[in-house]
Amino acid sequence: MKMVELLKMTTPAQRKKALTAAGYNTFLLKSEDVYIDLLTDSGTSAMSDRQWAGMMMGDEAYAGSKNFYHLEDVVKSVYGYKYLVPTHQGRGAENILSKILIKKGNIVPGNMYFTTTRLHQELAGGRFEDIIIDEAHDPDNEFPFKGNVDLSKLDKLVKKYGAKKIAYVSIATSVNMAGGQPISLKNLKELRAYTKKHGILIIHDMTRVAENAYFIQQKEKDYGNKSVKAIVKEICSLTDGATMSAKKDALVNIGGFLTINDWNIFEEARNMVVVYEGLHTYGGLAGRDMEAMAIGIKESVDDDHIRARVGQVIYLGEKMKDYGIPIVRPTGSHGIFVDAKKFLPHIPQTAYTAQTLAAEVYLDSGVRTMERGIVSAGRKPNGENYFPKLELVRFTIPRRVYTQAHMDVIAESTARVFERRHQIKGLKMVYEPKYLRFFQARFEKL
Amino acid sequence: MRTIIEPFKIKSVEPIYFNTREERETILSNAFYNPFLIKANDVLIDLLTDSGTSAMSSNQWAGIMKGDESYAGSPSFFRFEKVIKEITGYPIAIPTHQGRAAEKILFSILGGAGKYFISNTLFDTTRANIEFSGAAGIDLPCEEGKHPSIPAPFKGNMDVATLKRTIAEIGVANIPMVIMTVTNNSGGGQPVSMQNIKEVSAVCKENNIPFFIDACRFAENCYFIKLREAGYANIPVPQIAAELFSYADGCTMSAKKDAFANIGGFLAMKDLELANSCRNLLIITEGFTTYGGLAGRDLEAIAIGLQEVMDENYLQYRIRSIEYLTHKLIAAGVPVMQPAGGHAVYLDAKAFLPHIPVHQYPGQALACALYTEGGIRSVEIGSLMFGKYDNNNQLVPAALELVRLAIPRRAYTQSHIDYVAEVITEVFEKRNHIGGLEIIEETPLLRHFTAKLKPVK
Repeated sequence: MKMVELLKMTTPAQRKKALTAAGYNTFLLKSEDVYIDLLTDSGTSAMSDRQWAGMMMGDEAYAGSKNFYHLEDVVKSVYGYKYLVPTHQGRGAENILSKILIKKGNIVPGNMYFTTTRLHQELAGGRFEDIIIDEAHDPDNEFPFKGNVDLSKLDKLVKKYGAKKIAYVSIATSVNMAGGQPISLKNLKELRAYTKKHGILIIHDMTRVAENAYFIQQKEKDYGNKSVKAIVKEICSLTDGATMSAKKDALVNIGGFLTINDWNIFEEARNMVVVYEGLHTYGGLAGRDMEAMAIGIKESVDDDHIRARVGQVIYLGEKMKDYGIPIVRPTGSHGIFVDAKKFLPHIPQTAYTAQTLAAEVYLDSGVRTMERGIVSAGRKPNGENYFPKLELVRFTIPRRVYTQAHMDVIAESTARVFERRHQIKGLKMVYEPKYLRFFQARFEKL
Repeated sequence: MRTIIEPFKIKSVEPIYFNTREERETILSNAFYNPFLIKANDVLIDLLTDSGTSAMSSNQWAGIMKGDESYAGSPSFFRFEKVIKEITGYPIAIPTHQGRAAEKILFSILGGAGKYFISNTLFDTTRANIEFSGAAGIDLPCEEGKHPSIPAPFKGNMDVATLKRTIAEIGVANIPMVIMTVTNNSGGGQPVSMQNIKEVSAVCKENNIPFFIDACRFAENCYFIKLREAGYANIPVPQIAAELFSYADGCTMSAKKDAFANIGGFLAMKDLELANSCRNLLIITEGFTTYGGLAGRDLEAIAIGLQEVMDENYLQYRIRSIEYLTHKLIAAGVPVMQPAGGHAVYLDAKAFLPHIPVHQYPGQALACALYTEGGIRSVEIGSLMFGKYDNNNQLVPAALELVRLAIPRRAYTQSHIDYVAEVITEVFEKRNHIGGLEIIEETPLLRHFTAKLKPVK
């Protein structure tokens, strides 16, 4: 560690007060009232000294900043896509890409939904269809590549609607909502062959591509001797473009981009980015943030870095398992996903099982986690609730921020909650926002 | 003492790369005669914009190190919120990654086909966002604002009589908002008087139309009020700002101007219901409500910058340095917008290059000449930026053909500015040799950012 940030300890009484004020929604807690913040791994990484040095090298010219050209070079050389449009975050890239590629009535098949991604697809007039393998919906299944696509599901959609109605196939590496589960290169190659035959694009949600690549190195046949860097490049080469939230893999606090091999899509994106984000050579980012991103991308594909990163998550997973806490298996790359349905079997999904558990973990120790279940899934365009099979609490581990001792505290606290699980009661929702309700919804104890 | 020194000293420097006239000719041709497409390293003095190009203070850099990057509920947000509430008096502050994102959200909610937004003068991205929503923008600058060479104290004012007439003609139901841009950027960085704001506010109240301030350069505007408007000479700038905001229902702000930030913006307002709608959209395109697409450190830098900008020693230096360049150019006979504005010097390209017709973009031609001559990057604010085509595909030119030399805050010294004056004077002497330009490629919205041009044969 080169620089530290001080933490505040809270008492149970203080936490109870803070949680009530936040409407039992961990998103609405003040971060000052949080001891260990596992809300997200997005934008919460500790930057390296090299990245901080890069911050000082920011060229803040409105047009043609040298940091942009550096970033462009790095994206090309590390990921291999041809054209780059920076955006202030990943969702900025999703917004633009969805508007360009999705026509009203289109289908967007993908390996499990993600909250903001699906919303952008729906707002652009498309409909998301889940084509992930069934194993992904079973938290106990130990299959190593639960991010894989079931090609027969895709084929059914293509036969039903015709390839022309498929806007593109949306592929996430290290599938977040499935618990940070990887897709295998074998599966991706098959998908590539299939989509090529039907003239369908693959758009890669690449925010955790390096973590996915690490699992391929560890678990997939013939890749044990390949570097994470080489595997990342191979993954990207099998897709046509990508949206990136650099706040994950790329170790920055802000930033994202859209990158694509097709010149016409790029041209359209470059025109659109000016309206939503900023001129195409800064996309709504300070020059220094583009520089930190360029350096972070290079660091993110380093074998030693990624081994330590994923290794820490697996360490926490093992501890949790030792305490008998039901978690999604195998352990994913960026966090532990606790199976709330098993943890609190007496609380139905309609009483927000995972939301309840996240609130209880905060009460116990000030550890902040996130609901990934019925609240996050939201409502269908027709107003009905989605009832996702997985009702999870995500313990997301920020990169390079917490130590092993912090991991021990997290596991111990969750174990304490587990011991008194039978006394825990569910919640009711008292305020529900229109979009992405999990961010701002408020609850009360039943 | 006549000389007004900068109320700061330099703590960190950034090198300038020098190039030759021949190199610049090649660079410009490779950039298709559009300064937006030139690499920053190829520019000696970058006066393209004062947006995001400020030098931050050591206090702001300390804030950068203090930034709390929590996704939700960061203390950096609460500091940011507190400062904005104090300055504007509005109860709600919503961060966005830039000013245009704040506008985008506001106009997505209020805009749409058949709606009209009225302003003293809308800036390019503001107008684009309005039009993107299907609505239209109407500029109602006061008469003095339309004449670059006639000095007047508040050329940024809105024409109140025309405003009343326009409201009567269009109907209240079709006007979701009146927006006052302070200072009036496209009109030459000219200030708006408190009196004018008060009158526009009264008209809006009477008709029940929400009134917003585009507050990018609110401190510069407030300082002009202090200097020029009766009754304000002894009132501190923060108090003037509070009064200014009190007449409106809310504001949009690009913090890249008067908050000395390199990135960031916000929405602030009184109406809780509108704020909830804004937050819903914010989460989709920007980020969660307590970061709005900004790093925590940027929220800190904005909060500190907003306080620094109201320091009167700074504002005196800022306004005086723009005036300094303006007076140098007037002395050399160069046609400039008068009086000097708050953040930029505006050359009157029509008077500078009377031999170039508007459809050959005299402003763009002048901007290119300044680059070739001295490596100075400026921006055209004329028919390339604001021109439109009629049904017969003929150019409908903008009212003014200007070239803006925007001065970044705290970035350049007096000797840089002296150099700029020399280059402009030299170009002025050779003006008869400058030719026009034609467009070879353009986009439907905000074409000036990416348009490609070539010299007219």
